[in-house]
Amino acid sequence: MKVNVDLRLKDVPGQLVLALEPISANGGNIVGVVHHRDVVVGGHITVNVTFEIKSEKTLERILETWKEREIDVARLGSIYETISIEYLLVGDISTGELNNIVKEIESMEDLESINIRYSVSHLSNGKAAFLIGKVRKRETSERIEELLNVKAQEHGFLVIRSLGD
Amino acid sequence: MDIFIAGFGTVGQGVAEVMKERAAWFERRFDECVRIVGALDSSSFEFSSNGLDPEVLIRRKKMTGKVGTIELKDESCHILRQFDYDVLVEVTPTNISTGEPGYSNILTAMESGKDVITSNKGPLALKFSELIRIAKRNGVQLRFEATVGGATPVINLSRELLMGERISSIRGILNGTCNFILHRMREEGLPFAQALKEAQEIGIAERDPTYDIEGVDSACKAAILANAIFNLNKTYKDVKRNGISGITEDAIALAAEEKKVIRLIAEISSKRLEVSPRLVPVGHPLSIGGTLNIIQLSTDLAGEITVVGRGAGKFETASAILSDLVALLKDKSTR
Repeated sequence: MKVNVDLRLKDVPGQLVLALEPISANGGNIVGVVHHRDVVVGGHITVNVTFEIKSEKTLERILETWKEREIDVARLGSIYETISIEYLLVGDISTGELNNIVKEIESMEDLESINIRYSVSHLSNGKAAFLIGKVRKRETSERIEELLNVKAQEHGFLVIRSLGD
Repeated sequence: MDIFIAGFGTVGQGVAEVMKERAAWFERRFDECVRIVGALDSSSFEFSSNGLDPEVLIRRKKMTGKVGTIELKDESCHILRQFDYDVLVEVTPTNISTGEPGYSNILTAMESGKDVITSNKGPLALKFSELIRIAKRNGVQLRFEATVGGATPVINLSRELLMGERISSIRGILNGTCNFILHRMREEGLPFAQALKEAQEIGIAERDPTYDIEGVDSACKAAILANAIFNLNKTYKDVKRNGISGITEDAIALAAEEKKVIRLIAEISSKRLEVSPRLVPVGHPLSIGGTLNIIQLSTDLAGEITVVGRGAGKFETASAILSDLVALLKDKSTR
Protein backbone atom coordinates (compact mmCIF):
# COMPACT_ATOMS: atom_id res chain seq x y z
CA MET A 1 0.00 0.00 0.00
CA LYS A 2 1.04 3.56 -0.64
CA VAL A 3 0.94 6.04 2.26
CA ASN A 4 1.29 9.81 2.26
CA VAL A 5 1.85 11.59 5.60
CA ASP A 6 2.64 15.03 6.94
CA LEU A 7 4.99 14.75 9.90
CA ARG A 8 5.72 17.57 12.33
CA LEU A 9 9.34 17.42 13.40
CA LYS A 10 11.35 19.46 15.85
CA ASP A 11 13.56 21.85 13.88
CA VAL A 12 16.79 20.34 15.17
CA PRO A 13 19.38 18.18 13.35
CA GLY A 14 18.78 14.43 13.15
CA GLN A 15 14.97 14.57 13.31
CA LEU A 16 14.41 13.62 9.68
CA VAL A 17 16.57 10.51 9.99
CA LEU A 18 14.69 9.61 13.15
CA ALA A 19 11.40 9.94 11.26
CA LEU A 20 12.40 8.00 8.15
CA GLU A 21 14.26 5.18 9.87
CA PRO A 22 11.11 3.27 11.02
CA ILE A 23 9.88 3.14 7.40
CA SER A 24 12.97 1.41 6.08
CA ALA A 25 13.33 -0.66 9.25
CA ASN A 26 9.89 -2.11 8.49
CA GLY A 27 10.75 -2.94 4.90
CA GLY A 28 9.06 0.15 3.45
CA ASN A 29 10.11 1.91 0.29
CA ILE A 30 10.36 5.69 0.55
CA VAL A 31 9.03 7.19 -2.67
CA GLY A 32 9.31 10.88 -1.87
CA VAL A 33 10.21 13.38 0.88
CA VAL A 34 9.22 17.07 0.71
CA HIS A 35 10.89 19.09 3.42
CA HIS A 36 9.10 22.39 4.24
CA ARG A 37 12.05 23.98 6.05
CA ASP A 38 10.82 27.49 5.38
CA VAL A 39 7.64 27.12 7.45
CA VAL A 40 8.55 26.84 11.13
CA VAL A 41 5.60 26.82 13.51
CA GLY A 42 6.24 26.56 17.24
CA GLY A 43 9.75 25.23 16.63
CA HIS A 44 8.42 22.49 14.34
CA ILE A 45 8.67 22.01 10.60
CA THR A 46 6.45 19.89 8.36
CA VAL A 47 7.78 17.07 6.20
CA ASN A 48 5.61 15.32 3.64
CA VAL A 49 6.61 11.68 3.14
CA THR A 50 5.27 9.19 0.61
CA PHE A 51 6.18 5.56 1.06
CA GLU A 52 5.13 2.04 0.08
CA ILE A 53 4.65 -0.71 2.61
CA LYS A 54 3.33 -4.23 2.56
CA SER A 55 0.30 -4.03 4.83
CA GLU A 56 -1.80 -2.15 7.36
CA LYS A 57 0.09 -4.00 10.11
CA THR A 58 3.37 -2.50 8.95
CA LEU A 59 1.78 0.95 9.03
CA GLU A 60 0.62 0.34 12.60
CA ARG A 61 4.19 -0.56 13.62
CA ILE A 62 5.58 2.59 11.97
CA LEU A 63 2.94 4.80 13.63
CA GLU A 64 3.74 3.20 16.97
CA THR A 65 7.46 3.98 16.58
CA TRP A 66 6.71 7.60 15.61
CA LYS A 67 4.58 7.92 18.72
CA GLU A 68 7.42 6.57 20.87
CA ARG A 69 9.79 9.07 19.24
CA GLU A 70 7.31 11.90 19.80
CA ILE A 71 6.95 12.58 16.08
CA ASP A 72 3.52 14.09 15.37
CA VAL A 73 1.52 12.80 12.45
CA ALA A 74 -0.29 15.95 11.30
CA ARG A 75 -2.05 14.23 8.41
CA LEU A 76 -2.33 10.67 7.26
CA GLY A 77 -3.85 10.39 3.85
CA SER A 78 -3.98 9.12 0.30
CA ILE A 79 -3.69 5.57 1.45
CA TYR A 80 -4.21 3.06 -1.21
CA GLU A 81 -2.96 -0.38 -1.87
CA THR A 82 -0.72 -0.96 -4.83
CA ILE A 83 -0.60 -4.46 -6.09
CA SER A 84 2.16 -5.51 -8.44
CA ILE A 85 1.14 -7.45 -11.49
CA GLU A 86 3.55 -9.46 -13.56
CA TYR A 87 2.73 -11.74 -16.45
CA LEU A 88 4.90 -13.46 -18.98
CA LEU A 89 3.08 -14.28 -22.22
CA VAL A 90 4.70 -17.00 -24.31
CA GLY A 91 3.87 -18.22 -27.79
CA ASP A 92 2.77 -17.11 -31.21
CA ILE A 93 1.29 -13.74 -30.37
CA SER A 94 1.34 -10.76 -32.71
CA THR A 95 2.50 -7.29 -31.70
CA GLY A 96 -0.90 -5.97 -32.75
CA GLU A 97 -2.69 -8.33 -30.41
CA LEU A 98 -0.31 -7.47 -27.58
CA ASN A 99 -1.01 -3.77 -28.12
CA ASN A 100 -4.75 -4.47 -28.00
CA ILE A 101 -4.31 -6.29 -24.70
CA VAL A 102 -2.29 -3.41 -23.25
CA LYS A 103 -4.92 -0.89 -24.44
CA GLU A 104 -7.67 -2.91 -22.79
CA ILE A 105 -5.70 -3.02 -19.55
CA GLU A 106 -4.98 0.71 -19.76
CA SER A 107 -8.70 1.40 -19.96
CA MET A 108 -9.25 -0.24 -16.58
CA GLU A 109 -9.86 1.94 -13.56
CA ASP A 110 -7.41 1.72 -10.65
CA LEU A 111 -4.49 1.04 -12.92
CA GLU A 112 -1.36 2.82 -11.74
CA SER A 113 1.04 1.69 -14.45
CA ILE A 114 1.52 -0.90 -17.13
CA ASN A 115 4.61 -1.63 -19.19
CA ILE A 116 5.40 -4.25 -21.75
CA ARG A 117 8.73 -5.67 -22.86
CA TYR A 118 9.16 -7.91 -25.86
CA SER A 119 11.63 -10.64 -26.61
CA VAL A 120 13.57 -10.47 -29.84
CA SER A 121 13.09 -14.03 -31.05
CA HIS A 122 12.84 -14.70 -34.76
CA LEU A 123 10.88 -17.88 -34.03
CA SER A 124 7.19 -17.11 -34.38
CA ASN A 125 6.14 -19.58 -31.68
CA GLY A 126 8.99 -18.82 -29.30
CA LYS A 127 8.18 -15.19 -28.64
CA ALA A 128 7.60 -13.83 -25.19
CA ALA A 129 6.33 -10.58 -23.71
CA PHE A 130 6.65 -9.40 -20.14
CA LEU A 131 3.77 -7.33 -18.77
CA ILE A 132 4.58 -5.49 -15.59
CA GLY A 133 2.49 -2.95 -13.75
CA LYS A 134 0.70 -1.82 -10.63
CA VAL A 135 -2.98 -1.66 -9.74
CA ARG A 136 -4.75 -0.25 -6.72
CA LYS A 137 -7.36 -2.95 -6.26
CA ARG A 138 -7.10 -6.71 -6.08
CA GLU A 139 -10.24 -6.95 -8.23
CA THR A 140 -8.42 -5.12 -11.01
CA SER A 141 -5.53 -7.57 -10.90
CA GLU A 142 -8.07 -10.41 -11.02
CA ARG A 143 -9.77 -8.79 -14.04
CA ILE A 144 -6.42 -8.51 -15.80
CA GLU A 145 -5.70 -12.17 -15.13
CA GLU A 146 -9.14 -13.12 -16.44
CA LEU A 147 -8.60 -11.03 -19.59
CA LEU A 148 -5.21 -12.62 -20.23
CA ASN A 149 -6.61 -16.12 -19.74
CA VAL A 150 -9.41 -15.46 -22.24
CA LYS A 151 -6.96 -14.01 -24.78
CA ALA A 152 -4.59 -16.94 -24.19
CA GLN A 153 -7.38 -19.38 -25.03
CA GLU A 154 -8.37 -17.40 -28.13
CA HIS A 155 -4.86 -17.03 -29.50
CA GLY A 156 -3.19 -20.14 -28.10
CA PHE A 157 -0.44 -18.57 -26.04
CA LEU A 158 0.68 -19.39 -22.51
CA VAL A 159 0.22 -17.02 -19.56
CA ILE A 160 2.74 -17.34 -16.75
CA ARG A 161 1.82 -15.36 -13.67
CA SER A 162 4.03 -14.42 -10.76
CA LEU A 163 4.21 -16.44 -7.59
CA GLY A 164 2.39 -13.68 -5.70
CA ASP A 165 2.26 -13.24 -1.94
CA MET B 1 5.38 -57.47 12.05
CA ASP B 2 5.05 -59.35 8.79
CA ILE B 3 5.34 -57.40 5.55
CA PHE B 4 4.21 -58.27 2.05
CA ILE B 5 5.83 -56.21 -0.70
CA ALA B 6 3.76 -55.83 -3.88
CA GLY B 7 5.97 -54.54 -6.70
CA PHE B 8 9.67 -55.35 -6.75
CA GLY B 9 11.19 -52.74 -9.05
CA THR B 10 13.62 -50.10 -7.86
CA VAL B 11 11.43 -48.96 -4.95
CA GLY B 12 10.51 -52.49 -3.80
CA GLN B 13 14.16 -53.52 -3.79
CA GLY B 14 15.08 -50.35 -1.90
CA VAL B 15 12.49 -51.16 0.75
CA ALA B 16 13.80 -54.73 1.06
CA GLU B 17 17.38 -53.49 1.47
CA VAL B 18 16.40 -50.96 4.12
CA MET B 19 14.35 -53.54 6.03
CA LYS B 20 17.33 -55.87 6.21
CA GLU B 21 19.65 -53.05 7.20
CA ARG B 22 17.28 -51.79 9.94
CA ALA B 23 16.16 -55.22 11.25
CA ALA B 24 18.26 -55.05 14.43
CA TRP B 25 17.13 -51.48 15.09
CA PHE B 26 13.47 -52.49 14.80
CA GLU B 27 14.08 -55.21 17.45
CA ARG B 28 15.93 -52.86 19.75
CA ARG B 29 13.63 -49.86 19.38
CA PHE B 30 10.23 -51.52 19.14
CA ASP B 31 10.92 -55.00 20.45
CA GLU B 32 9.46 -56.21 17.21
CA CYS B 33 10.73 -58.59 14.57
CA VAL B 34 9.95 -56.91 11.26
CA ARG B 35 10.17 -59.45 8.44
CA ILE B 36 9.32 -59.70 4.80
CA VAL B 37 7.07 -62.75 4.43
CA GLY B 38 5.87 -62.16 0.89
CA ALA B 39 6.89 -60.40 -2.30
CA LEU B 40 5.42 -60.24 -5.76
CA ASP B 41 6.13 -58.58 -9.07
CA SER B 42 4.28 -58.60 -12.39
CA SER B 43 5.20 -62.21 -13.20
CA SER B 44 6.05 -64.06 -9.98
CA PHE B 45 5.67 -64.27 -6.23
CA GLU B 46 7.24 -65.82 -3.15
CA PHE B 47 5.84 -66.40 0.33
CA SER B 48 7.09 -67.94 3.55
CA SER B 49 5.49 -67.50 6.94
CA ASN B 50 8.99 -67.99 8.41
CA GLY B 51 10.22 -64.87 6.61
CA LEU B 52 12.16 -64.31 3.40
CA ASP B 53 15.74 -63.14 3.08
CA PRO B 54 15.68 -59.72 1.36
CA GLU B 55 19.10 -60.40 -0.15
CA VAL B 56 17.89 -63.58 -1.82
CA LEU B 57 14.85 -61.75 -3.23
CA ILE B 58 16.99 -58.92 -4.62
CA ARG B 59 19.59 -61.29 -6.08
CA ARG B 60 16.93 -63.40 -7.76
CA LYS B 61 15.22 -60.33 -9.19
CA LYS B 62 18.50 -59.05 -10.59
CA MET B 63 19.50 -62.39 -12.10
CA THR B 64 16.19 -63.68 -13.42
CA GLY B 65 14.00 -60.59 -13.58
CA LYS B 66 11.61 -62.30 -11.17
CA VAL B 67 11.31 -61.83 -7.41
CA GLY B 68 9.71 -65.22 -6.79
CA THR B 69 10.01 -68.83 -7.80
CA ILE B 70 6.28 -69.21 -8.31
CA GLU B 71 4.69 -67.94 -11.51
CA LEU B 72 2.00 -65.32 -11.07
CA LYS B 73 -0.91 -66.77 -13.03
CA ASP B 74 -3.63 -64.74 -11.39
CA GLU B 75 -4.10 -61.08 -10.60
CA SER B 76 -1.83 -59.97 -7.78
CA CYS B 77 -4.75 -59.06 -5.49
CA HIS B 78 -5.85 -62.72 -5.48
CA ILE B 79 -2.41 -63.73 -4.22
CA LEU B 80 -2.62 -61.13 -1.46
CA ARG B 81 -5.92 -62.61 -0.33
CA GLN B 82 -4.40 -66.10 0.08
CA PHE B 83 -1.67 -65.33 2.60
CA ASP B 84 -1.37 -63.95 6.08
CA TYR B 85 0.69 -60.85 6.86
CA ASP B 86 0.27 -57.59 8.82
CA VAL B 87 1.24 -54.79 6.43
CA LEU B 88 1.11 -54.48 2.66
CA VAL B 89 3.84 -52.29 1.16
CA GLU B 90 2.28 -51.45 -2.20
CA VAL B 91 4.96 -50.14 -4.56
CA THR B 92 3.76 -51.22 -8.00
CA PRO B 93 4.14 -48.61 -10.78
CA THR B 94 1.66 -45.72 -10.95
CA ASN B 95 -1.11 -46.17 -13.48
CA ILE B 96 -3.02 -42.95 -13.82
CA SER B 97 -5.75 -44.30 -16.10
CA THR B 98 -7.15 -47.05 -13.89
CA GLY B 99 -5.00 -47.02 -10.75
CA GLU B 100 -4.38 -50.75 -11.26
CA PRO B 101 -2.95 -53.05 -10.07
CA GLY B 102 -2.31 -50.81 -7.05
CA TYR B 103 -5.95 -50.01 -6.39
CA SER B 104 -7.06 -53.68 -6.17
CA ASN B 105 -3.98 -54.62 -4.15
CA ILE B 106 -4.66 -51.88 -1.58
CA LEU B 107 -8.38 -52.63 -1.47
CA THR B 108 -7.83 -56.38 -1.00
CA ALA B 109 -5.33 -55.85 1.79
CA MET B 110 -7.51 -53.35 3.67
CA GLU B 111 -10.61 -55.49 3.34
CA SER B 112 -8.59 -58.36 4.83
CA GLY B 113 -7.77 -56.14 7.81
CA LYS B 114 -4.19 -55.27 6.83
CA ASP B 115 -2.53 -51.88 7.16
CA VAL B 116 -1.18 -50.50 3.89
CA ILE B 117 1.83 -48.31 3.07
CA THR B 118 2.08 -47.15 -0.52
CA SER B 119 4.20 -45.05 -2.86
CA ASN B 120 1.69 -45.55 -5.69
CA LYS B 121 0.09 -42.25 -6.72
CA GLY B 122 -2.48 -43.73 -9.10
CA PRO B 123 -5.04 -45.14 -6.64
CA LEU B 124 -4.80 -42.08 -4.38
CA ALA B 125 -4.98 -39.50 -7.17
CA LEU B 126 -8.08 -41.24 -8.52
CA LYS B 127 -9.98 -42.66 -5.54
CA PHE B 128 -8.63 -41.09 -2.37
CA SER B 129 -11.90 -40.62 -0.48
CA GLU B 130 -13.13 -44.10 -1.28
CA LEU B 131 -9.89 -45.68 -0.06
CA ILE B 132 -9.87 -43.65 3.16
CA ARG B 133 -13.50 -44.66 3.79
CA ILE B 134 -12.64 -48.34 3.29
CA ALA B 135 -9.61 -48.05 5.58
CA LYS B 136 -11.80 -46.55 8.32
CA ARG B 137 -14.52 -49.14 7.85
CA ASN B 138 -11.97 -51.92 8.29
CA GLY B 139 -10.14 -50.26 11.17
CA VAL B 140 -6.82 -50.23 9.31
CA GLN B 141 -4.33 -47.54 8.36
CA LEU B 142 -3.55 -46.40 4.84
CA ARG B 143 -0.28 -44.45 4.84
CA PHE B 144 1.15 -42.77 1.76
CA GLU B 145 4.02 -40.41 2.63
CA ALA B 146 6.02 -41.76 -0.33
CA THR B 147 3.41 -40.66 -2.89
CA VAL B 148 4.45 -37.00 -2.68
CA GLY B 149 7.97 -35.68 -2.85
CA GLY B 150 9.96 -38.84 -2.01
CA ALA B 151 12.15 -37.82 0.88
CA THR B 152 10.31 -34.56 1.67
CA PRO B 153 8.13 -35.66 4.58
CA VAL B 154 5.29 -33.24 3.98
CA ILE B 155 2.22 -35.42 4.56
CA ASN B 156 3.16 -36.81 7.96
CA LEU B 157 4.57 -33.41 8.95
CA SER B 158 1.28 -31.70 8.15
CA ARG B 159 -1.05 -34.37 9.52
CA GLU B 160 0.88 -35.25 12.65
CA LEU B 161 3.41 -32.67 13.86
CA LEU B 162 1.42 -29.69 12.54
CA MET B 163 -1.98 -31.15 13.39
CA GLY B 164 -2.93 -28.14 15.53
CA GLU B 165 -1.96 -25.57 12.88
CA ARG B 166 -4.31 -24.09 10.32
CA ILE B 167 -2.60 -24.58 6.99
CA SER B 168 -3.86 -21.99 4.51
CA SER B 169 -1.84 -22.94 1.47
CA ILE B 170 0.78 -25.26 0.11
CA ARG B 171 3.04 -24.33 -2.77
CA GLY B 172 5.84 -26.38 -4.10
CA ILE B 173 7.91 -27.99 -6.78
CA LEU B 174 6.79 -31.59 -6.87
CA ASN B 175 8.52 -32.84 -10.00
CA GLY B 176 12.30 -33.02 -10.20
CA THR B 177 12.35 -33.72 -13.95
CA CYS B 178 10.61 -30.44 -14.83
CA ASN B 179 12.77 -28.54 -12.41
CA PHE B 180 15.93 -29.98 -13.92
CA ILE B 181 14.79 -29.00 -17.45
CA LEU B 182 13.82 -25.43 -16.44
CA HIS B 183 17.05 -25.06 -14.47
CA ARG B 184 19.18 -26.20 -17.44
CA MET B 185 17.30 -23.93 -19.85
CA ARG B 186 18.12 -20.97 -17.64
CA GLU B 187 21.70 -21.89 -16.75
CA GLU B 188 22.87 -22.97 -20.20
CA GLY B 189 20.41 -21.14 -22.44
CA LEU B 190 19.29 -24.48 -23.84
CA PRO B 191 16.09 -24.86 -25.87
CA PHE B 192 13.41 -26.99 -24.20
CA ALA B 193 13.94 -30.00 -26.51
CA GLN B 194 17.67 -30.11 -25.78
CA ALA B 195 17.25 -29.79 -22.02
CA LEU B 196 14.69 -32.61 -22.16
CA LYS B 197 17.07 -34.77 -24.21
CA GLU B 198 19.80 -34.17 -21.64
CA ALA B 199 17.40 -35.19 -18.86
CA GLN B 200 16.56 -38.37 -20.76
CA GLU B 201 20.23 -39.18 -21.38
CA ILE B 202 21.12 -39.02 -17.69
CA GLY B 203 18.03 -41.01 -16.71
CA ILE B 204 16.05 -38.23 -15.06
CA ALA B 205 13.29 -38.18 -17.68
CA GLU B 206 11.37 -41.13 -19.12
CA ARG B 207 11.52 -41.96 -22.82
CA ASP B 208 7.90 -40.78 -22.97
CA PRO B 209 8.15 -37.68 -20.78
CA THR B 210 4.51 -36.55 -21.20
CA TYR B 211 3.50 -37.54 -17.68
CA ASP B 212 6.17 -35.28 -16.18
CA ILE B 213 6.40 -32.33 -18.59
CA GLU B 214 2.66 -31.85 -19.00
CA GLY B 215 2.30 -31.61 -15.24
CA VAL B 216 0.29 -34.84 -14.74
CA ASP B 217 2.69 -36.19 -12.10
CA SER B 218 2.58 -32.88 -10.20
CA ALA B 219 -1.21 -32.76 -10.53
CA CYS B 220 -1.52 -36.25 -8.99
CA LYS B 221 0.59 -35.12 -6.04
CA ALA B 222 -1.36 -31.86 -5.72
CA ALA B 223 -4.63 -33.83 -5.59
CA ILE B 224 -3.21 -36.15 -2.90
CA LEU B 225 -2.07 -33.14 -0.80
CA ALA B 226 -5.45 -31.42 -1.29
CA ASN B 227 -7.24 -34.51 0.00
CA ALA B 228 -4.81 -35.49 2.74
CA ILE B 229 -4.18 -32.04 4.21
CA PHE B 230 -7.22 -29.96 3.23
CA ASN B 231 -9.74 -32.81 3.55
CA LEU B 232 -11.03 -32.24 0.04
CA ASN B 233 -12.39 -34.82 -2.31
CA LYS B 234 -10.40 -34.27 -5.50
CA THR B 235 -8.89 -36.37 -8.23
CA TYR B 236 -5.94 -35.31 -10.35
CA LYS B 237 -8.44 -34.36 -13.07
CA ASP B 238 -9.75 -31.57 -10.81
CA VAL B 239 -6.33 -29.93 -10.80
CA LYS B 240 -6.03 -27.03 -13.27
CA ARG B 241 -2.92 -27.92 -15.17
CA ASN B 242 -0.38 -26.38 -17.51
CA GLY B 243 2.92 -28.10 -18.24
CA ILE B 244 6.31 -26.76 -19.26
CA SER B 245 6.52 -27.90 -22.90
CA GLY B 246 5.50 -24.40 -24.09
CA ILE B 247 8.33 -22.63 -22.27
CA THR B 248 10.76 -21.08 -24.73
CA GLU B 249 14.29 -19.72 -24.46
CA ASP B 250 12.86 -16.23 -24.96
CA ALA B 251 10.52 -16.68 -22.01
CA ILE B 252 13.38 -17.86 -19.78
CA ALA B 253 15.61 -14.96 -20.92
CA LEU B 254 12.91 -12.32 -20.46
CA ALA B 255 12.15 -13.64 -16.98
CA ALA B 256 15.87 -13.55 -16.17
CA GLU B 257 16.05 -9.87 -17.12
CA GLU B 258 13.44 -9.25 -14.42
CA LYS B 259 15.46 -11.38 -11.94
CA LYS B 260 12.91 -14.18 -12.11
CA VAL B 261 13.08 -17.87 -12.89
CA ILE B 262 10.26 -20.02 -14.24
CA ARG B 263 9.31 -22.99 -12.10
CA LEU B 264 6.48 -25.52 -12.34
CA ILE B 265 4.59 -24.79 -9.13
CA ALA B 266 1.77 -26.77 -7.55
CA GLU B 267 -0.54 -24.60 -5.48
CA ILE B 268 -3.17 -25.89 -3.11
CA SER B 269 -5.38 -23.52 -1.13
CA SER B 270 -9.07 -22.83 -0.62
CA LYS B 271 -8.99 -20.72 -3.82
CA ARG B 272 -6.64 -22.63 -6.06
CA LEU B 273 -5.82 -26.18 -6.96
CA GLU B 274 -3.42 -25.94 -9.83
CA VAL B 275 -0.12 -26.85 -11.37
CA SER B 276 1.38 -24.23 -13.67
CA PRO B 277 4.63 -22.52 -14.62
CA ARG B 278 5.12 -19.43 -12.44
CA LEU B 279 7.55 -16.53 -12.21
CA VAL B 280 9.59 -16.94 -9.05
CA PRO B 281 12.00 -14.24 -7.81
CA VAL B 282 15.64 -15.33 -7.84
CA GLY B 283 16.60 -16.15 -4.25
CA HIS B 284 13.09 -17.19 -3.22
CA PRO B 285 13.07 -20.71 -1.72
CA LEU B 286 10.91 -21.92 -4.62
CA SER B 287 13.54 -20.76 -7.14
CA ILE B 288 15.61 -23.81 -6.22
CA GLY B 289 17.33 -25.58 -9.13
CA GLY B 290 18.29 -29.16 -9.95
CA THR B 291 16.10 -32.18 -9.28
CA LEU B 292 15.17 -31.30 -5.72
CA ASN B 293 11.57 -31.08 -4.53
CA ILE B 294 10.49 -28.28 -2.26
CA ILE B 295 7.25 -27.67 -0.44
CA GLN B 296 6.21 -24.55 1.43
CA LEU B 297 3.36 -24.64 3.93
CA SER B 298 1.69 -21.43 5.12
CA THR B 299 0.44 -21.91 8.66
CA ASP B 300 -1.34 -19.55 11.04
CA LEU B 301 0.97 -19.96 14.04
CA ALA B 302 4.33 -21.11 12.72
CA GLY B 303 4.21 -18.97 9.57
CA GLU B 304 5.92 -20.45 6.56
CA ILE B 305 7.52 -23.85 6.82
CA THR B 306 9.68 -25.08 3.96
CA VAL B 307 10.69 -28.67 3.37
CA VAL B 308 13.33 -29.51 0.78
CA GLY B 309 14.49 -32.95 -0.25
CA ARG B 310 15.11 -35.39 -3.02
CA GLY B 311 11.89 -36.11 -4.81
CA ALA B 312 12.56 -39.59 -6.11
CA GLY B 313 15.01 -42.45 -5.98
CA LYS B 314 15.40 -45.89 -4.50
CA PHE B 315 16.42 -45.02 -0.97
CA GLU B 316 14.64 -41.65 -0.87
CA THR B 317 11.30 -43.38 -1.48
CA ALA B 318 12.29 -46.20 0.88
CA SER B 319 12.93 -43.51 3.51
CA ALA B 320 9.35 -42.25 3.20
CA ILE B 321 8.02 -45.81 3.41
CA LEU B 322 10.22 -46.41 6.46
CA SER B 323 8.68 -43.34 8.17
CA ASP B 324 5.21 -44.83 7.62
CA LEU B 325 6.35 -48.20 8.90
CA VAL B 326 7.81 -46.58 12.01
CA ALA B 327 4.50 -44.77 12.56
CA LEU B 328 2.67 -48.12 12.43
CA LEU B 329 5.18 -49.67 14.85
CA LYS B 330 4.85 -46.74 17.26
CA ASP B 331 1.10 -46.97 17.05
CA LYS B 332 1.23 -50.70 17.73
CA SER B 333 3.57 -50.28 20.70
CA THR B 334 1.26 -47.74 22.37
CA ARG B 335 -1.90 -49.73 21.83
